[in-house]
Amino acid sequence: MNSNLVNSCVLACCVSGSGIATADDVPDTSFQRLQNSAGEVHNWLHHHRSYDAQRHSPLSQINRDTVSRLKVAWTFAVGGTDGGGIWPNAGLEATPIVEDGMMYIVDGWGVVQKIDVSRGRAEFQWRMDPGTDKDWAGEVACCGIDNKGVALAGKLVISHTLDGRLIAMNKSDGEIVWETQVADPARGETITVAPLIVKDMVISGMSGGEFGVRGWLHASNIATGETVWRRHTIPAPDEPGGDTWRDDHEAYKTGGGPTWITGSYDPELDLIYWGVGNPGPDWDREYRPGDNLYSNSMIALDPASGEIRFHFQYTPNDPFDYDGVNELILVDESVSGAARKMLLHADRNGFLYAIDRTTGKFIYGTPYVKRLNWTAGLDPVSGRPLDYDAEADIQHYAGVASGRGRKDSGLLCPGAMGGKNWQPMSYHPGFARLYIPVIESCHLTHTQPVTEGGAHIPREWFTAGGISQPETFTGSLTAFDVRTGKIAAKVDTRWPVLGGTLTTGGDLVFAGMPDGDVVAFDAETLEQLWMFPTGAGLNAPVMTYAIGDKQYIAVAVGLGGTMPKWWIDAVPGLENTNTGSMIFAFSL
Amino acid sequence: MVRIRKSPARPTALIVGLLLLAINSSWANDHQLALGKRVYKKANCVGCHKWHGGGGGGYGGVALSLRDTTLDRDWLITLVRCGRPGTRMPYHDRNAYRGDNRDCYEMTADEFGEQLPPKAPRVLREKEIEAVVAYVQARIQGRGQPNHDDCTAFWGADATRCKRMLDK
Repeated sequence: MNSNLVNSCVLACCVSGSGIATADDVPDTSFQRLQNSAGEVHNWLHHHRSYDAQRHSPLSQINRDTVSRLKVAWTFAVGGTDGGGIWPNAGLEATPIVEDGMMYIVDGWGVVQKIDVSRGRAEFQWRMDPGTDKDWAGEVACCGIDNKGVALAGKLVISHTLDGRLIAMNKSDGEIVWETQVADPARGETITVAPLIVKDMVISGMSGGEFGVRGWLHASNIATGETVWRRHTIPAPDEPGGDTWRDDHEAYKTGGGPTWITGSYDPELDLIYWGVGNPGPDWDREYRPGDNLYSNSMIALDPASGEIRFHFQYTPNDPFDYDGVNELILVDESVSGAARKMLLHADRNGFLYAIDRTTGKFIYGTPYVKRLNWTAGLDPVSGRPLDYDAEADIQHYAGVASGRGRKDSGLLCPGAMGGKNWQPMSYHPGFARLYIPVIESCHLTHTQPVTEGGAHIPREWFTAGGISQPETFTGSLTAFDVRTGKIAAKVDTRWPVLGGTLTTGGDLVFAGMPDGDVVAFDAETLEQLWMFPTGAGLNAPVMTYAIGDKQYIAVAVGLGGTMPKWWIDAVPGLENTNTGSMIFAFSL
Repeated sequence: MVRIRKSPARPTALIVGLLLLAINSSWANDHQLALGKRVYKKANCVGCHKWHGGGGGGYGGVALSLRDTTLDRDWLITLVRCGRPGTRMPYHDRNAYRGDNRDCYEMTADEFGEQLPPKAPRVLREKEIEAVVAYVQARIQGRGQPNHDDCTAFWGADATRCKRMLDK
């Protein structure tokens, strides 16, 4: 398949709507505005609200004193729950984008809808149905029929589809302006990530770490959809990092390293930061001796070329599926009295990492989960696991690692879902705290060795085994002080926290639970101050916006993803949660 | 008293009857296989055993190959009803392991302890269990490597996956 196949708007798309605006009516989301998005207090312009990915809004009408009066303001039925491939239903994972009273939401199949929320209710504007090839994509979607959101650029809405397309449509009427195929499901590649706009480019990540892909980031021109650059996250043998694949059977070609969480951007340093996922095959590290760069790494890229300027790797030669894609929050704060430009990352491996984002050097790493046994700790200088052996081709971490010749790994904590999965954390600058939606979990790994060379079949799972969960998962909301590098507070939850967090100027933290509860916590004490049961599973981040002086809290409700399908033994009772597909908005 | 006079069956009526019986039987069989395929999808067999039944690794665990298995119908029905102890193969019978119920492996949930299989998110009726086992035996078990016919039988003739198989 031609990865740079660009089509003009003659595609079999379906746009329907009412009250269509003209191009002149819609605002221009310029790069300048995107850089200053944190200052547009009433809006939520980026996937993570701002380039620093803090997911913090200064809005404060809803605060610790008023939140008890928070009520449903409006709801909107998104639809799009139908199944496809191996999935009985789709889910909602998107963070709604709001610009001047217009909300943009995308469902798991890539259907984008524009909703006028300016009058305090949801009024449908248009729908763009990309006609996703459901079985083709849904068969190789490891973890659900999901889409994490759209991006705004100029007068366009930019969105991905699960079957690997990048689509630009008019904000005004939803008509497709261009469309390009960037990921190839024939190779097991899909897309669930929300795009990141940087300058005149849209940056796409991809999924497929369980299908033997070779990961990449892809930059397309916003105006035309044409490729600007593509950067593989798993280097070729003659590229920097290529020597960290020390096998003799070209394991890098199926080396994984997906990029399915939207990255961050520092305009001052002019660097894109993006998380790279697990190496493949997931659980047979002997198949891929070496550190396996840039799997499980943060990479800092030059936007002009996609060149990797520096990186930091969390779990070299990973035998755990500690898929290091999680979001990267940029914070300027003092640590031990010294001002630092930090990049903060809660890795699946259970450590909260602070990295110097000017150099990629380690600052500190602290466990944020209750149980962590895969390593004895991190080296205080390098940030490497204490039992990492730079001379070894195969890493043996704390004696619990999975591997060939073992019946199972022994109980491994945190589990493969991680101490935290993709659901984004948020940062409250007033308290200098991160609020982490935590999965408190352990698992067993059962390795099925992969035959060297030729074992990979495109579109077939390439995990080299499976996992099981002998213990029930629980969760916690964990507040982390970035200045001290220590946990400030932790409140236990029955379920893993699967709704990404939001912090606000009202000194509140909002989070969502997989049984459908939307919850507000006091950002200082983590006392629960408010809760609303939506009645359907929730697996998406909470966001906020304002119309005039009225603040709204909004969240997409529709549990898809891994929990109801793969982890039934770990979350007993969750099977009773209904699948919904709604947006709930709340106001005072 | 009304007497019903039995007339000897005429050859043509017998043939028509047998034909109807055969058609009916074939229809019932097709109907059961169609139901079985739906169950195979909706009950998440497809998640771990894959569309082709080959099983292998994945987030559902290490699943048995239904293509290679030599288990007979009764065993397959038991495994779907009762799950497979010590593995993540779930049980689909609503009443399995409930209270003192010993219908599965003549053991209770308490006696299995940690080896108790998980409960499936979607329980199945007996008819559905029989159908999915019939489907596995007719379309998957012992059929070697999955081919284009297997693909179209599962995904449909227009499925991209199946068209791509022909391209190779």
